[in-house]
Amino acid sequence: MSSSSAANRVATDVGGTFTDLVHLRTDPATGRQEIVTAKSDTTPPDFERGVLEVIARSGVATADIGFLVHGTTVVINALTERKGVTTGLITTEGFRDSLEIARGNRPDFFNLFYRKPAPFVPRHLRRELPGRLAPTGAERWPLDLSGLPAILEDFRAKGVEAVAICLLHSYANPEHELAALERVRELWPGVSAVASHQITREWREYERTSTAVLSAYVQPIAERYLGRLHDGVARDGFAGQPYIMQSNCGVDTLDHVKRIPITMVESGPASGFWGAAELGRLIGEPNVLALDIGGTTAKCSLIEDGRVRIMTDYWIERDQRSAGYPIMVPVVDLVEIGNGGGSIASVDDFGKLHVGPRSAGADPGPAAYGLGGEHATTTDANLVLGRINPAFFRGGDVDADMPAAERALDAVAAELGGTRLDAARGIVRIANHNMINALKLVSVNRGHDPRDFTLVAFGGGGGMHAAALAAELGMAKVVIPRAADVFSAWGMLMSDLRRDYFVTRLATLTPDRSASLDGWVREVEVHAADQYAAEGIAADQLSLERFGRLRYENQEHSVEVPLEAGEFDAAAVQAIVERFHVTYEREYTYRLDAPVEFVGVHVVASAQVGKLTPAKLPVDGREVAEARKGEREVDFELEGVAAAAIYDGAALEPGMAFSGPAIVETSGTTVVVRPGDEVRMDDYGNLHIDVGGTA
Amino acid sequence: MSRSAEGFDPITLEIIQSSLQAASDEMFAAMRRTAMSAIIYEVLDMGTGITDAHGQLASSGAGIPAFIGVLDKAVRRILELNPREGIRDGDIFATNDPYYGGVTHLNDVVLAMPVFAGGELVAWTANIAHWNDVGGMVPGSISTDAREIFQEGLRLPGVKLVDRGRPIDSVMRIMEVNSRLPDFLRGDMWAGIAAVRIGAQRLQELVAKYGRDTFLAATEHFMDYGEQVSLKALRELPKGRFELEEEQDSGSVYRVTVEIADDAFTVDLRENPDQDEGPNNAGRDGSLVAAQMVFKSLTDPYGVANGGSFRPLRLLTRPGSVFDAQEPAAFAVYYEVEVRLYDLIWRCLAPSLGGLLPAGHFASICGTFIGGPHPDTGRHFTIVEPQVGGWGGSVRGDGNSAIFSGFHGETYNCPAEVAETRYGLYVNRMTLNDAPGGEGAHRGGKGIVIDYAVRQDGCFFTCSYTRNRHLPWAADGGLEGSPNVAEVIRADASREEYAVVTGLVVNEGDVIRIRTGNGGGYGDPADRDPEAIAADVENELIAEDRARRVYGALPAGADG
Repeated sequence: MSSSSAANRVATDVGGTFTDLVHLRTDPATGRQEIVTAKSDTTPPDFERGVLEVIARSGVATADIGFLVHGTTVVINALTERKGVTTGLITTEGFRDSLEIARGNRPDFFNLFYRKPAPFVPRHLRRELPGRLAPTGAERWPLDLSGLPAILEDFRAKGVEAVAICLLHSYANPEHELAALERVRELWPGVSAVASHQITREWREYERTSTAVLSAYVQPIAERYLGRLHDGVARDGFAGQPYIMQSNCGVDTLDHVKRIPITMVESGPASGFWGAAELGRLIGEPNVLALDIGGTTAKCSLIEDGRVRIMTDYWIERDQRSAGYPIMVPVVDLVEIGNGGGSIASVDDFGKLHVGPRSAGADPGPAAYGLGGEHATTTDANLVLGRINPAFFRGGDVDADMPAAERALDAVAAELGGTRLDAARGIVRIANHNMINALKLVSVNRGHDPRDFTLVAFGGGGGMHAAALAAELGMAKVVIPRAADVFSAWGMLMSDLRRDYFVTRLATLTPDRSASLDGWVREVEVHAADQYAAEGIAADQLSLERFGRLRYENQEHSVEVPLEAGEFDAAAVQAIVERFHVTYEREYTYRLDAPVEFVGVHVVASAQVGKLTPAKLPVDGREVAEARKGEREVDFELEGVAAAAIYDGAALEPGMAFSGPAIVETSGTTVVVRPGDEVRMDDYGNLHIDVGGTA
Repeated sequence: MSRSAEGFDPITLEIIQSSLQAASDEMFAAMRRTAMSAIIYEVLDMGTGITDAHGQLASSGAGIPAFIGVLDKAVRRILELNPREGIRDGDIFATNDPYYGGVTHLNDVVLAMPVFAGGELVAWTANIAHWNDVGGMVPGSISTDAREIFQEGLRLPGVKLVDRGRPIDSVMRIMEVNSRLPDFLRGDMWAGIAAVRIGAQRLQELVAKYGRDTFLAATEHFMDYGEQVSLKALRELPKGRFELEEEQDSGSVYRVTVEIADDAFTVDLRENPDQDEGPNNAGRDGSLVAAQMVFKSLTDPYGVANGGSFRPLRLLTRPGSVFDAQEPAAFAVYYEVEVRLYDLIWRCLAPSLGGLLPAGHFASICGTFIGGPHPDTGRHFTIVEPQVGGWGGSVRGDGNSAIFSGFHGETYNCPAEVAETRYGLYVNRMTLNDAPGGEGAHRGGKGIVIDYAVRQDGCFFTCSYTRNRHLPWAADGGLEGSPNVAEVIRADASREEYAVVTGLVVNEGDVIRIRTGNGGGYGDPADRDPEAIAADVENELIAEDRARRVYGALPAGADG
């Protein structure tokens, strides 16, 4: 892709309420980059209308777009709102109940009224085929497809629109699934059908069945949506291939995603974390703890050496109260907690203060929105403490309803038995503590010391809490990206084409197994390269990273270690084993003198799709004082009350520096700089905060 | 705000309390990821917890309810057994013996680590996990034939395993040499050691950050909070004295009296049979845990479970009885005794508490042990697994199908694909149980049927199921559930049925069919919603003729 055709790069993101657009325009003459944002209403059920509308509204001519990337919640919404299609399941004889038996766990274990999550396919639409593979993939008895016509006939009569196929041991050998899939397509052309091995090559039949079922359940909807979107932008003159954001932090072609749309399930958070990884690369911070604080939740993820961690044990609707549903697709490793700006503070019968997970949402929202919300939220607490400017609320569009915020906090204070300020400080401390626990889960609990990382915080609430969180964790540095409120869309613009392949292959790893290891890794790589080649991406454009999943024999959980390029020999295997011992010991504090087992291959195949290099911002040489709007009393909670300088974020330019206590206000976010913190804006407009007291 | 919290910032106390919970959870996660035995990492037959310096439970990790309230008792016994000056920073103690703080049976090994701050003992971190084989008369150490605890494996009487950070090699070697699976033992032991150390480190960080006094106040306040929550719930329960006696599959009769008052929940077990000559015994501590589980479900199923939560609970037992067995009684099958007691208290209260309790569930661990040579690798394998089954209907709806008993919680069954690889037998099917039973206005959930096809001669099968003769109980006019049973279908098609058997030889071509019970029904079947009956028929959860018989005429359309 030439740089001129990439002059206009557009990311659109369909959210629950709004469809956002970020347009990054590079002036071909000066190289100067400009970010334009636009918003329009999300338009269910025809979401593509909102996308076309927001493109029109942004002023960019669709025909001039060089790179179009799209993120959407259409998959996760169809799942959580149960708006998918009637799905039929075909599985191995004796296993139609696997989907309903699930794993039998009762996470809410003292609750005798626990409700097990209901299967997405009722029992009468779960059918069986005789035929069996052994764990090795060898055939125990042949697949008998003679019953299939009757099954499909019945499915049609019962209004089935999508068929999922999951047969035992298909991760080891997909032949039976392929045969069944082929026959389904012959017998019922046009039906939406998916076999589990097309999505995952890992063992555990319940998880794989659930993955195939949930994928089939959303497939017709996602397919129609992506098809109409493609038609729409093509009609408006866009000639290229739109890219779709994926849960593994990469993008993929619309045509490819249409086949297995379930891979979009967590694309929203993934783009933000990828943005953090790319930002880290740009500013020379390869080790990043990324934190995204939104209205109802906070999400975080750890990036080590520029790498995001991709996992396949992803579940929807799983929490302490419910077992949820597994989806074995590559998803960025993240922890999400119910703590955001709209999280509601409550005091229980015994005088304990809680913040979240209940949220005031967008309507009525925090009390200060003045829309009738009566509950105190984290945002209300931040207003009362002077951190958020009541006269520059929600991007400066409206004034905060301070009497409403104060009333809400007074109610909390009365229950707690303190002052309004005590209540506000308490809420912020509890909210911070909840977020610290989440940050520890992705770092400390996995053997990483947060002090070796830089905190990159974004989303509407990132800047408000980041410095305090970093100080608590002993982290020396915080970076608040430019345009932190639309950072996810920026991340989308920075993404590569990326596919993650996970394949289960079990063997005790001894030096004499180097040839098998070689064969397994190569098989996956060849498959990946073939897939890309079929879509016109040549091998030389492709970059392959290979990893092994290892464990001590008899363990279950595996540890992922990078594998060297080239052919493996005995020495390479020895090195891999040693790398495993080291990684294991770092994570778990001990190592064993026990045989090491190879569990599977993970290959990341990526190709650049004309990624841009962000340009530095121009510098006018103004004084930092010119960006200073004034001063106000701000309660920094642990650091006390101080008169803080207020800066207009839009008026800051690279090189400017100042010290806390201070507040930086932009249209989308507020950055709290504590007494003792030092701030500097870098060449790209990001704010770097050196956190006081952590040196 | 309670007395203990006076003078301390309540928000700081809350942050410390939540950090205690986080530390318990972190220990749990670390152990799960590192353990060697499937019974630990998959079944999660394990628990983690933090106690105060005196062994009062401050917080516990996720996992199984039956292991909450075990670790505090172990720590208290370790404190009794070891001179205070012998307990030092970096030490780790081990116990597995119910006579020495082990609470359950010898397979469940507790590791406990004292946490010091400024030279003062401020807390303990601990975990318990089911180790695959600790010696004794049979592989897996659990035998229904054991008559004395000496036959059940190596006894660890609250002794030191690590001395000031240095593993005591001689003790470890004794442990390893006493196990048939020393590699597993070593792996599981180190997983446990790593977990208590991680927890101890977190606590030391907390003390360093907030100061010892604040830390201690937070721990104490947390338990006071747990007590207040329980007392409030207790005040809202119906009051009275409730009694029940119930015959067991073995023929013995268990009796319980429960008295609910505003400030106390008393469980009286004194009128019970003498301790069993076999391994069907519970220690007093184990009986207390069973009572705690019911108490917690009735008072505060969603909140914290700590030492304070259980303060209003009183337990009366008779030493030498089945619920307070004395040395040298055997304990291997303690878990069936405990789940029977749990179910007994539940059943005793259900009719009087106005819908607060569902009908009875399959209520057995259905502990299943299969072992032998792996046909592909030649190595010895052992399955040690509880089973899922059906839960009872309730005032709110039908019971769940195929989930673990009330004894287990965040426990996972073994996928067939994993079992076939690891154990060298075939899982020919795993379906919902089609046996009749459990019908009602709200029907019981379904148990399961699993067929294990044996691939190698000379394998063994052991089980000890209850609710085989006496079925999962119904409530409010519903029908009883169906039995838990193991059937062995020999290669020559002959059949045998078992509920209790040890070391049964099974050979290539034999099929072990496990059938777990459907839960009891709740309410008169005549009151069942016709649409729900039609759905049951369409989903083949009940045969048409049985539906007609039990529910009366079928609604139109249910015949298709």
